This record gives sequence, structure tokens and C-alpha cells, in this order.
Amino acid sequence: MRDASLVARIPTQWLRWGVALLLIALALFLWEGSKTFFNLPDYKLPHLAQIGEAFVRPTPQGPVWRVLLQDTLYTGLEAFLGFVLGGISGFLLAALFVHWKPAERGLMPYVVASQAVPIIALAPMIVVGVGRLGAPPWLSKAIIATYLTFFPVTINATRGLKSVDRDALWLMHSYAATRQQIFRKLRVPASLPYLFTALKISATASVIGAIIGELPVGSKRGIGVQIVVGSQYNTFNPGFLWATIIMAALLGMLFYGVVALVERRALHWKQE
Amino acid sequence: MSHIIEFDQVWKIFGAGESETIALQNVDLTVETGEFVSIIGPSGCGKSTLLRLIADLLPPSKGDIRVNGKTPRQARLDRDYGMVFQAPTLYEWRTVLKNVELPLEVMRSAREDKRGRAVKMLDLVGLSDFQNHYPRQLSGGMQQRVSIARALVFEPTLILMDEPFGALDEFTRERLNLELLDIWAETHKTVIFVTHSISEAVFLSSRVVVMTPRPGKIARIIDIDLSYPRNFETRESDRFFELVTEVRETLKEEFTRGEIDD
Ligand SMILES: Nc1ncnc2c1ncn2[C@@H]1O[C@H](COP(=O)(O)OP(=O)(O)OP(=O)(O)O)[C@@H](O)[C@H]1O
Ligand SMILES: [Mg+2]
Repeated sequence: MRDASLVARIPTQWLRWGVALLLIALALFLWEGSKTFFNLPDYKLPHLAQIGEAFVRPTPQGPVWRVLLQDTLYTGLEAFLGFVLGGISGFLLAALFVHWKPAERGLMPYVVASQAVPIIALAPMIVVGVGRLGAPPWLSKAIIATYLTFFPVTINATRGLKSVDRDALWLMHSYAATRQQIFRKLRVPASLPYLFTALKISATASVIGAIIGELPVGSKRGIGVQIVVGSQYNTFNPGFLWATIIMAALLGMLFYGVVALVERRALHWKQE
Repeated sequence: MSHIIEFDQVWKIFGAGESETIALQNVDLTVETGEFVSIIGPSGCGKSTLLRLIADLLPPSKGDIRVNGKTPRQARLDRDYGMVFQAPTLYEWRTVLKNVELPLEVMRSAREDKRGRAVKMLDLVGLSDFQNHYPRQLSGGMQQRVSIARALVFEPTLILMDEPFGALDEFTRERLNLELLDIWAETHKTVIFVTHSISEAVFLSSRVVVMTPRPGKIARIIDIDLSYPRNFETRESDRFFELVTEVRETLKEEFTRGEIDD
């Protein structure tokens, strides 16, 4: 009993941090352990110290971490633009589907088909095509991010907007509510839990989309460009590729975290 | 007195062929303005369906319905009735107060004081202290009381209630019965009240409509000749017991007849 009360007295915050630290320590141990155990060469799996060292290495534009940070922010802007555009267009498409059945039946196959095409094959075409039109280079990346973002939003928002139960709808009918009122006061709030599920998927997908857009030859800025550079020079500087990967992952987590935070606020009526 | 509700040989049939269900069979019913009419009958006999036809949430299969002298659709568009559903049907993302304000919002009522009206109605159902709670934080009975406040807040002339007190304990139920009678007497509304409770039906109503088991027909309409205002003594009067017995006998008769018919 005494032990239980002791554990109970540790703040949950501390416990959570403690567990997180423990997991990180374990991951680091496994990393270095498997490198030794399987005898992996540096270009396959560098030492952690090499990654750290890659971050602080100086370049003419300042230390590597600062260069990578700038590229990551650039990619972040592209992804954010794509996320917003994809979120809006995805939701509008869902709103159309809910109010006009033929649209859903007619367009849904194309929406699905659009996602079945490997984005890797499509990306260079979009980049080149948009570039030919004289658009700024970030636009094609944002478009690819949009392309990956809108799909989960469309699917989930359509479901969410339809998720109202019969009595809730009848209540609105009993007030002789207009379609617009039913949409705003019932369908949209009812769809929010579904929408946020989609937005969390889209948050990371939009980052992936922007990065994929940066991979084709000719791109000059963004963390995707650095990933390409890193894989080309991996044998000379094995820590650098992993440094770029870490930055990309952090960006994705940041996007996800922000959406999750907004979700907590927006859906506080659902908590507990 | 004018007829606020008229059913002329109304049928409601769900589905077709094998899966056909006759929910209402040839219902004739006239309700006068200002009446308190209860509808009682076994589960599945079509009570909710009857209310939904009045409310224009479902169309009749055959026959003619008039509400306030109009088609049910017109009456709905004119917001002539307020409905209390069998389930509370609160919007979970709105606070209690916001739920009660919902009809006023939708109707863009010119009434300045939405909040004041809503607060008053919540007071009436005894939930003033829960204005800022969310539905999930309330018990089932409390949720149902919110839904009653919501139906009354825009002062419709006709109130349709589908087992509103079904989820409540006996004490709260009797208290709300009295409240409801007060509101009814003060505002000269017409109430159509679906219930499973014989004593509740007798206590509240000026007439009790007894329905048969599926397919739902009107077995008998019983006049309740107890004088208003009613109170605790009413429940203990001999006449009250006689009427309760009469309703019970009618229900029992119809129930056994239904079984023999099958
Ligand atoms: N939408 C529907 N589709 C098919 N059948 C239905 C539908 N709604 C009701 N029914 C059928 O109509 C009959 C009457 O249903 P209703 O809900 O009106 O009963 P009720 O008297 O309100 O019962 P309860 O007291 O259990 O609420 C039932 O047999 C039911 O199965
Ligand atoms: Mg019912």
C-alpha cells in the first residue's frame, strides 16, 4: 500500500516525461547496439555522434543545422499552403457530395483514381508542367501537397457530414430550418471529429507531398533537395543524410502536433 | 373551439410486399384547440408514427391530415408545433443553454432576449445550475428535461411529446406532470402526449386515446372528466382510480384480442 501511494504521489507529468526519456535512451541503445552487433558500415548506419557532428559542421552559409532549418522552413511553407488548399478543396468537395448525390456518384471514382496513381510518377510532371507556365518554384510543390491532402479530407468529411442521426435532422425540420442552417448548425459540427481525423493524416501527408515535389532534378530549395544531396554524398558524409531525415520528421511531427492541439480545443465537448 | 388536428381515415404503411408493416390503420381523430390528449398503447403500436405524421416528418400512406386547418407541411413551415422526441436529441457540441436557444436561433426570432427566454425555460425544468454543462455531463432524465425546455422556448401553440418523462423517476415525473399542467393552463396550448404510463395519461389528459397492438388502430377514446386544476388529491380520488381501471381494462382487452387474431 505504501508503494502505491508513493507512485501516486509522483505527478503524472513527470511520469510521462520519465517514460519518454526512457524510450529515447532505449532507442539510442538499440541503434548503437545493432550497429556493433551486425557490424554495419557507416554508410548503412552511421554512429549517432556522426549525425550530431553533421549538424554542427560549418559551411559557407553557416553551420549545417542553420542551413537545414532554413530549408525545412521553406518546405514547411509549401506544405502548409498545400495543407490549407487541400483542406479547403477537400471539404468543399465533400459539401458538394452531401448536397448533390449525382456529384458523388460521378466524381468519386476519379477522386479515388487520383490517389491510385503513384505520386512519385506524377510529381515530376507537375513540377515541370507548372514550371513551364512560369509559376514560382514553390507552387508546384504546394500543388503536390494539396493533391495528397484533399483525399483523406474529402472521404472523411463526406462521412462526417452524413453522420447526423435521424432525430437530430428531424429536429431541424421541425423548426423549418433551411438547408444552409442545417449545414452550419448540424452537419458541420457533427463532422468535426471525422474532419480532424482526416486533417491529422493530411498534416503529415502534406509534408511528404512537398518533399516529393522537391526531389526532381532542378529543385533548388527545401529539405527534399537536401535529402537528395545527402543520399548522393552518403559515403563521404554518412551523418548528413540522417540529419536531413530528422529535420523532415520533425517538420511532420510539428504539423501533426499543431492539428492535434487545435483538435483538442475544437472538440473539448467530447473529452473525458 | 376549432379543430387543431384532424385525421381522416389515415393509414401509414412502411415497406412493401413481404416486409410490409401497417403502422397505422384507418385512424380517425379530432383534437380541439386547447385539449390535452394522451396516446397510450403497447410498444410498436404506432404512437411515435402518429406524432411524426402530425409533425410532417413522415407522409401518410392514405387519408388526409389537417393541422391548424392547414396541411401538416404548411403547419411545420409556420412553426406551429414544438416536438419533444422519444430520445433527448441534444446537440452534444452545444451547452445546455445553447441547446435551448437553438430553435430561437434557427427561427431568427425577432425576440430580443434569446438568452433570457432560454434561462427562464431552464429554470422551469429545474436546470438553472446546468446552463453551461454539455449534454454528456447530464443524466438521461436531465437531458430529457433540456429537450422539453427546448420545445417550449419558442412558444408553439401545439406541443407534441413522445414519452418525455419515460426516463425519469417517479418523483421527478410527478413534479414535471404538475409543471406541464401549469404551463398548459397558463398558455392555452394544445398538447399531444404519448406515454406508457396509464396513471400519467389519466392524470394529465382531458382525453386518452387507447391504441390497439400492431396494426395500430384507435381502440377507444376515453374522456377524463376530472376537473382541472389537478393536484395530489386528484391522484387519490375514487374517480381517478375508476378511470385508470377503465384504461387498463381497455388495453388488456385489446391486447388479448390481438393475440387471438394472430
Ligand atoms: N421508418 C420505419 N420503417 C419501417 N418500419 C417502421 C419505421 N418506423 C416505424 N416502423 C414500424 O412501425 C410500427 C410502429 O412504430 P412506432 O415507432 O410508431 O411505435 P411506438 O408505438 O412509438 O412504439 P414505442 O412505444 O416502442 O416507442 C413498428 O412496428 C415499427 O417497426
Ligand atoms: Mg415510440
